[in-house]
Amino acid sequence: MAAPPERSGSLVESKTGFDPRIVAFHGILALLLLILFCGLAYQQLIKDAFHHEEERQQNERRVIVPGPRGNIYDRDGRLLVGNRPRFAVVLNLDELRPEFRREFARILSNYKLTGDRDIPAADQLEQIAHASVVQRYMDQVNAVLGRFGTVDSNRLRNHLRRQLLLPYTLIDDLKPEEFAILVEHLPVNSPLQVYTSNTRYYPYGAAAAHALGYVNANEGADDEEFPGEGLTTLKLKGSVGRDGLEKQFDSLLQGEAGYTILRVDPAGYKVNPPIEHRLPVQGHSLTCSLDIEIQKAAEEAIGDETGAAVAMDVRTGEVLAMASKPGYDLNAFSPHLSVAAATDIEARRAWSNIALNGVYSPGSTFKILVSSAALLSGAITPTDTPADCEGVMMVGNRRFFCSNGLEQHGRLALSDAIAESCDIYFYTVGLRTSADVIAAEARRFHLDRPTGIDLPGETHRMLIPDPAWKRRARGENWTPGDTANMAIGQGDVQVTPLLMACFAASFARGELWTTPTLLHDPRRPAQHTEPIGLSGPQRAAILKGMEGATMERGTAHILTSLDVLRVPGVRIAGKTGTAQIKRPQGEVDEAWFICFAPLENPEIAVAVAIEGDVPGENFAGGRYAVPVASAVLKKFFEKKRASAAAIEPPAGPS
Amino acid sequence: MRIGQSQRFDQARPFVALGVALAVWLVAPVAIKTFARASFFEMTAPVTSVASYVSDLQRFWALRLHSKEALIEAGRDLARLDASYSLSVQQNSELQAEVERLERLLRMPPADHYRFEHARVAQRDFSVWWQRMVIRKGADYGIPKGAPVVYSGGVVGRVAEVHAYTSVVELISDPGLRIAAVVDGDTRPISYQGAENPVFGAARGVVEFVPLDVYASLSEPKRLATSGLGGVYPPGLTIGRITHVEPSADGLFRTGEVTLDIRLAELKEVTVLVPSNPG
Repeated sequence: MAAPPERSGSLVESKTGFDPRIVAFHGILALLLLILFCGLAYQQLIKDAFHHEEERQQNERRVIVPGPRGNIYDRDGRLLVGNRPRFAVVLNLDELRPEFRREFARILSNYKLTGDRDIPAADQLEQIAHASVVQRYMDQVNAVLGRFGTVDSNRLRNHLRRQLLLPYTLIDDLKPEEFAILVEHLPVNSPLQVYTSNTRYYPYGAAAAHALGYVNANEGADDEEFPGEGLTTLKLKGSVGRDGLEKQFDSLLQGEAGYTILRVDPAGYKVNPPIEHRLPVQGHSLTCSLDIEIQKAAEEAIGDETGAAVAMDVRTGEVLAMASKPGYDLNAFSPHLSVAAATDIEARRAWSNIALNGVYSPGSTFKILVSSAALLSGAITPTDTPADCEGVMMVGNRRFFCSNGLEQHGRLALSDAIAESCDIYFYTVGLRTSADVIAAEARRFHLDRPTGIDLPGETHRMLIPDPAWKRRARGENWTPGDTANMAIGQGDVQVTPLLMACFAASFARGELWTTPTLLHDPRRPAQHTEPIGLSGPQRAAILKGMEGATMERGTAHILTSLDVLRVPGVRIAGKTGTAQIKRPQGEVDEAWFICFAPLENPEIAVAVAIEGDVPGENFAGGRYAVPVASAVLKKFFEKKRASAAAIEPPAGPS
Repeated sequence: MRIGQSQRFDQARPFVALGVALAVWLVAPVAIKTFARASFFEMTAPVTSVASYVSDLQRFWALRLHSKEALIEAGRDLARLDASYSLSVQQNSELQAEVERLERLLRMPPADHYRFEHARVAQRDFSVWWQRMVIRKGADYGIPKGAPVVYSGGVVGRVAEVHAYTSVVELISDPGLRIAAVVDGDTRPISYQGAENPVFGAARGVVEFVPLDVYASLSEPKRLATSGLGGVYPPGLTIGRITHVEPSADGLFRTGEVTLDIRLAELKEVTVLVPSNPG
């Protein structure tokens, strides 16, 4: 029997010969390893930045907080617009994750214990758990404050989905007492905390509402200005100026937003302290030219009437007061304007700043300009008596009446004609001067264009008509009646109260125009524009007439005859006016008064325009507009005297 | 071999026991933990009280060693102080009567009234993270949790824990205590909170939400008092002096530092204001 072959002792068979299948296998294996290696290298070396960015975007969040707006002060440094702290009690939801989990488990186990098979879906259970936990905290606040607040589960769900990192507001706009109670009763480390934000605050309420303007909420700062490009960003709402100075100087007043970059876990909950943090910074403050005391005096004097008053520093063009009524309480916009308040403003037609946008015929205040045109063109001299006022005159085939004075004025020179505002005199002078010359003079005074004040929305609807305009606009020829109307500031002449204030200031300086501004600069140089060109006697005649208007026989005589309206020790040059405006209820009067004072060295110019509200009612400038100007002038000179007394050195020992 | 293993186990036994005890404490229900802590405190309370009494006795004997002249002088000072206090009490009672008359005239609701419970300080526990003291009165004198604690210089703090014969008072220098305060001459409430205190330095606090028009500096400090609006402390009690304010980053408020009375760290007796009508 042959012996069995000897075994090698190893179970592994080895084959040393060439096997194409093995070689192919090794090749494929090598290729796969190479692909794997290349892929790894590609992902690690080439796409490294991409993955890093993906990881960053997944794990980091950016929160942008707007900076508070700058304040607005009046020319004496009194706060007109500031920021009011707005206290809210908030819940930091990102600290409640363990509680949410426990509550979820508790609710689920309750369902199971009761044998209820109708268990809600997981996301519903989660929502119930969230609401339940947050309501518990709300109940703590309710107990302390004696409120009965409940949690809106839908709002909570949206907040958890979109703004988990931002505090969830339980109660907004707390009263100071409630703030104090919560400060003492909430534990320092509780997820419940008092949170402060800011909202605009207007210490003077409705005063200067149109000039100061208001703000609306906006989406806040632009994401691109902050580090953390591409990150999911949560932004707290900011505000943007929508009218007045708030709009005009929005970029200056806007605060600098701050940001925080946070690391979050996959569920979006905050982990660890912020990676980057920059606090918001308040915007620049602004000192406007308004004097709130004069502003309030003007507004109180206008009362419930519809109209506007503008007071201006003659030397610099700085606007001291810009009152427009009806107005609105600016605090109604803070934190946001309610529908009811907006409807009320709309119903009272209170949105518009009449000082800038109200276009009216200037009435007899225009006679100052007509006088200037007539004197400069040589149509009259200061001593001429071109007309004999018998109360009525024929222009073409139309009868024109003298609306001022119950008796006939007779023959008057320029000063008396201005003082008594004789229409017959000015019809005659206007016809002698011609419409083109009057219109050219009005254009020289820049009455045909916006003043360029640093406020948004100034109207362009002012109009100085002339024959060419009438042909172009209406296809009609200019008539002598048009000239007569124009000569007393009626017809198609349209100006704003602000324009007339600028006109009064310019005339006070003996110059042609004034650029108004609402910014205060204590070192602002005096404005100097082209001189009017009137000779000394010509200017003196007009000034005498304007002063006469405020004296015994003048149309504004109540300014000196009534004790309550008198401005002691101050000579005032003024001119009243009454024009007609069409309103849905019929034609109503518009009462005007322009003035400047002191006559010898003018410091303040005022223009007042008040609308009548009853058709047919005699709403004369002397009766309705003069008291407003008087209130403004009295306050101005009262302050001036007080200021002079304050800096006067005390009397030395006798 | 067995002997070696047994020795190693014996050596490790204390650590094992400690580990087991910690593990048991970690998983123990909250009720048991609370009960254990309260029991521990109640057990140590007599020791704390006795130590406090011994301390008082030491002080008594220390005073006995003073000379007769010094004691007579101290007695005179005390008599003068007593006389001035008697006068103040008399004036206060007249003013109180006038206030009550005016309140009746104005038909104002009755003000909060407190029962004054004077208590000796048994122990102080000051660290960077907390500032507390134990007083020798507790539930036995009807002291409730949250009651304000005062002394002649103003607010001491608030009762944080009440035990059978002792209470733990959280001082105003404790970072966990917050008070709705007002600056002298102002009515707007601001938030006062104890700050993290240096181990050897004077205690201090911080104020937040200070209006921008309120200024204070080391040379012109402002008195900080309780507002009375928060519902815990009566109004007008001194908290400290604001010695520094600076604008907060958002520009809406100022924040500031409050220097507290150094006597707070040395108090021997305090008064607990127990509300007459709690709740």
